[in-house]
Amino acid sequence: MAAAGPRTSTPQRRRPAPAISSPSSKIREIEEDEGEEETDKVVDFSHARTMAEPVIPDLFTQLPPVREGYLTDTLDVQLETARECMKFLDGLNTREPLVTRNEHGVPKLARDRHVRFLHMALGNLPGGFLVADASRPWFLYWSLSALVMLGQDVTSYRDGLIVTARSMQNDTGGFGGGGRQLSHLATTYAVVLSLALVGGGEAYDVIDRKAMWKWLNSLKQPDGGFQVCLGGEEDIRGAYCASVIITLLRLPLDLSPESPAYTGDSNANLFTGVADYVSRCQTFEGGISGQPNVEAHGAYAFCALGCLAILDHPSRSIPRYLDVPRLVSWLSSRQYAPEGGFSGRTNKLVDGCYSHWVGGCFPLIEACLNGNPPSDRHRPGDGDGGVGRVGGGGALAADGPAATATTTTTATATATTASSSGRGGRLPPAEDGLFHREGLIRYILCCCQDTTKRGGLRDKPGKGSDAYHSCYVLSGLSSAQHQWELDDEPRPPLAESPAETKDAETSKIPSDQDIDPEAHLEAVWAVLPYLDGPRVFDNDDCVRPIHPIYAIPQGSVRAIRAYFGEKGQGVVL
Amino acid sequence: MAAELKKELYGGGVGGEDGKLSTDPEWADVEPVVLQEPEGALAAIAYPDDYAEAMAYLRAVMQAKEHSPRCLRLTEHIIEMNPAHYTVWLYRAANVFALNLPILDEITWLNEVALQNLKNYQIWHHRHLLVENYHPLIASDPAAISAFAASERAFIAQMLSEDTKNYHVWSYRSYVVSKLGLFDDADELAAIEGLIDKDVRNNSAWSHRFFLVFSNPAYATPGAAATAYDAGVPAEVVDREIEYVTGKIRLAPQNQSGWNYLRGVMVKGGRKLASVEGFVSEFVIRLGEERSEGGKEGEGEEGEGEDVLSTHALDLLAEIYAEKGEKEKADLSLRRLGQKWDRIRVGYWEWRRKCLEVGA
Repeated sequence: MAAAGPRTSTPQRRRPAPAISSPSSKIREIEEDEGEEETDKVVDFSHARTMAEPVIPDLFTQLPPVREGYLTDTLDVQLETARECMKFLDGLNTREPLVTRNEHGVPKLARDRHVRFLHMALGNLPGGFLVADASRPWFLYWSLSALVMLGQDVTSYRDGLIVTARSMQNDTGGFGGGGRQLSHLATTYAVVLSLALVGGGEAYDVIDRKAMWKWLNSLKQPDGGFQVCLGGEEDIRGAYCASVIITLLRLPLDLSPESPAYTGDSNANLFTGVADYVSRCQTFEGGISGQPNVEAHGAYAFCALGCLAILDHPSRSIPRYLDVPRLVSWLSSRQYAPEGGFSGRTNKLVDGCYSHWVGGCFPLIEACLNGNPPSDRHRPGDGDGGVGRVGGGGALAADGPAATATTTTTATATATTASSSGRGGRLPPAEDGLFHREGLIRYILCCCQDTTKRGGLRDKPGKGSDAYHSCYVLSGLSSAQHQWELDDEPRPPLAESPAETKDAETSKIPSDQDIDPEAHLEAVWAVLPYLDGPRVFDNDDCVRPIHPIYAIPQGSVRAIRAYFGEKGQGVVL
Repeated sequence: MAAELKKELYGGGVGGEDGKLSTDPEWADVEPVVLQEPEGALAAIAYPDDYAEAMAYLRAVMQAKEHSPRCLRLTEHIIEMNPAHYTVWLYRAANVFALNLPILDEITWLNEVALQNLKNYQIWHHRHLLVENYHPLIASDPAAISAFAASERAFIAQMLSEDTKNYHVWSYRSYVVSKLGLFDDADELAAIEGLIDKDVRNNSAWSHRFFLVFSNPAYATPGAAATAYDAGVPAEVVDREIEYVTGKIRLAPQNQSGWNYLRGVMVKGGRKLASVEGFVSEFVIRLGEERSEGGKEGEGEEGEGEDVLSTHALDLLAEIYAEKGEKEKADLSLRRLGQKWDRIRVGYWEWRRKCLEVGA
């Protein structure tokens, strides 16, 4: 067959993994592989309940076919991790006799235990948590978000959250890690999202938006980025958190004369230079670093794409500021077999949290590739002086005449400029998905669940569960179980996935007199359960979808934006 | 600095004989600001008494904007208990600068704290602030810069010996190189080569090398994107880097760090990828050939089929074929990656095949 398609991990009966690297085992793999290639269609085993032995593709039960003998620390821990994960992926119950697995050899989502674990994380914490004294808002967001994804109603936490958030807010704007702590963008982001999660006017009104606007102005830097707190470091987290806060609270974008970024230019605003800053964080590998000139890292990739998707429709903003072919190559390289999970950097180990940081990039990349054609006003090389990747990068590859993953090099080798190129071709859409959903789901359900009474989710086998991993592992699961499509133009909300609950608070439709210049933010992310590939989890193991940029349910985003939209933008000034 | 004076600033501790601030005469003039969690607060921490007390005194002196040796010691006390407290760190920095303390003393103290808290975030920003303040004092003295660079490098080496890929350390290293202008410092490049020799898969080291070589202001075009051609980079630098990285790839052909670096160098240098086709092809054997029926199993036998020693080589080969317009061979390479050699990324390889289609 010519194309195996994206589902080549043909289900087959589990068999013992061959010993490493003997020539004969290599041949045996080739033979097995040839057998697979004859499998032309994906067989749906989901109804084969009579099968006694679980059906697990050998992709997840064997080390990868290319191995090498030059051992260094990196390879050593990689092999150790892969072997450890294989014990959890193999569908046998030798490790966890109490775990029930489905016919795909995948354990059920231990929903009740995870829910209990997360309720505990919101309760009174023992003294050992004092090291988290400056990051309590994170615990609120991680736990509430994870609970919501697990289908829990968190409105019972509204009153508690309101008093907690009030105690963390500073008169000078923003929220600190606790009372009388400096306001910080990360903790403010976490508080704002938490308030959005519990919802309701009383919760939203905790936020002093006028002070918030002033404070954000004080953090805005001349180079486009944001300091994370007054006198603190500047990095791409700051830019993402600020962008989220500004747009959820619908703050005015005006730059105040007190801002370090203020130059008197009346066109400059809080978003000026953010995309350039993001652009400077792309590395030669294609991924994104926390600050310019550092190693590409998964968490920052999500922050970068989140920023760009807030600034404009991803089909315009991402190719304009990033080399997309390189970025996609790097993102896809983060997924490993046999583990199935994502790593955060080249040659680092898989970690469940990257299910979100890396996995969460894919809906944004898909929106970039599948979106409507970029409008001409955003053509690269249109004279705004060195912005974006003019002359040899993603914008070129996306718009140039020979748009393949290789144009970056061929074009740069001849030093042509993008602006002179016509638009004969562009990057193709990503209809079939750019990452292995089944692999990620297997990693999450097999390797990232604490299956003891403790519950919660974790980095990898052998690590303890915590609220951070619970949140981001579930976010990744949610993104693997759903597919997103972003409309180009605003329109009334579609029905969301069946798992999405509807109440009056969350189904508000944004006002038509929306004067937000970021009109694309009203574009609707349509979400559907992902149905195309093999489905290795049971229906009741589905978690709720969350907004691909804001990482809370789309209804919560809509409700808080509608609330502050009705109040009227600019009122705070 | 006299030892006594140092004790007033470093390691002197706070608290009376029972360790409490409330019984320490030095703190008798301060009214602690006790914070009560509101009724019903979420994720409330049951703070140990000593921490709660120290924080109450901290709030009081911060509110009074006091900068003094005792404040410095109080921050040390709190940092020992909770090094992640960013507010305390920034207040400490404010004290250091207000009291005009010798920056190198503070750095010496910080080294110890850093080694005890390898994963900590705040330490590095504190160090950054110290260097920002120290640099103007030595900027015009090359010998002082050089000495400071050497001591920072030694400390960084110590940190990396504990955790070779520590992101904060590498971020800081990149900052120090820029700040002190160490792009042409042979010791810096040698240190990185040492780390790559120790573990050729240390991607942090490769990333830093790329920065050192291709962001060198002596020739790099300011503002050039990392993934773009830079006409300013001398050809001999490009040649040297290709030579270096191909040698390292031979050691460990499936090491993606090397291949990413090689590709990055080719792009920066504006080289055709096809100029390394011979090298890349070494790692892809008999692409697309099936093992003939008569062929015997075993190494190097005639009739043996396709073998791939590096999926990254096959990836690059696909790009080389596409660059040369050999679309079918490019397509075959990508198909084999998805079918056999790198199946977890099959969705990506299929997308790349579609890129070939639209790009033709």
